[in-house]
Amino acid sequence: MSWFKLNRSLHRDIGYFCIGMTLVFAISGIALNHIHQFNSNYQVSRESHTIQLDSDQLETPEFEARLLQELALSSPVKARFWQDRNTYKLFLKDTTLYLNPHTNQVLVEQVKPRFLLRQLNFLHLNEARAAWMWFSDFYALLLIFLALSSLFMVKGKKGVWGPRGLLVIAGFAAPIGFVAFYSS
Amino acid sequence: MKTSLISVIFLLTLMMSMGANSKTYNGGADKSKLLPISSLLKDAQRYTTESATIAGTVTRVCQKRGCWMQLASDEKFQTLMVKVRDGDMVFPMTAQGKTAYATGTLKLISLSLEQTNQRRQAQQLEPVDKPETLHLFTPVAVTIED
Repeated sequence: MSWFKLNRSLHRDIGYFCIGMTLVFAISGIALNHIHQFNSNYQVSRESHTIQLDSDQLETPEFEARLLQELALSSPVKARFWQDRNTYKLFLKDTTLYLNPHTNQVLVEQVKPRFLLRQLNFLHLNEARAAWMWFSDFYALLLIFLALSSLFMVKGKKGVWGPRGLLVIAGFAAPIGFVAFYSS
Repeated sequence: MKTSLISVIFLLTLMMSMGANSKTYNGGADKSKLLPISSLLKDAQRYTTESATIAGTVTRVCQKRGCWMQLASDEKFQTLMVKVRDGDMVFPMTAQGKTAYATGTLKLISLSLEQTNQRRQAQQLEPVDKPETLHLFTPVAVTIED
């Protein structure tokens, strides 16, 4: 097999292999770039209720049972904490209740990890540590191969030696332009 | 077909492992060095260099990057912020209400009077005349248990 055919075959097969990883990094990359506009890790919902709260009764099991019944919550209270003089917190599984006995307001905050996006972000931010880091390095090497081998996919003027070479130059020019403009 | 199946199994395994009851970072906290948060804060200067392990209910977590969490102290209204560099550890928002153990040292940051009162106002506390010191706990290892 000639080097030209070998290069094309490797480019195709490694390209197939990289589809999954590319989607993981591309989708989570967009999600993480816009994390301040859209929390791609968690879906946080907040609902406010007005319930008669008696400061003296807040820390009793009877009050907790009545409150949970009133809010139609079934999971038990895991922990309790006075955040400040006006806010008493009750922690349930994936739910936090903020109680303000002065205003009789109860804020129910529920946190749910977003399906798939949370897992993709987990991988992108390398929360899995060592093993994923080595696998990501391997993927990066494959991307370098894909980039360089693409230069030799088509021979002659229809390849990078023709007008399409401008696309390669544009790909280098964009990051150089950003560095020149924003880092000075 | 096989590739799709492997991908699905991989993602399911990942989801299941992320929902585990106990989560450790850098091998988990050293529970033999356990110290109440109130004691640590009373002798703050000492623990800027000496390592200790604190424990408390997780009361708040950074929603976006998971780069900090607030632990409830053994004293009423007292909390301590556990802060890491972005990406060093990522604390999940679902850790709220769980018990966290963190081994590390304290970092003291002197606030201006204006910063002090801004923070106190946010915590619905009376303003003061003297600037305060912000205490941040920098962990090297953490365990979060349900």
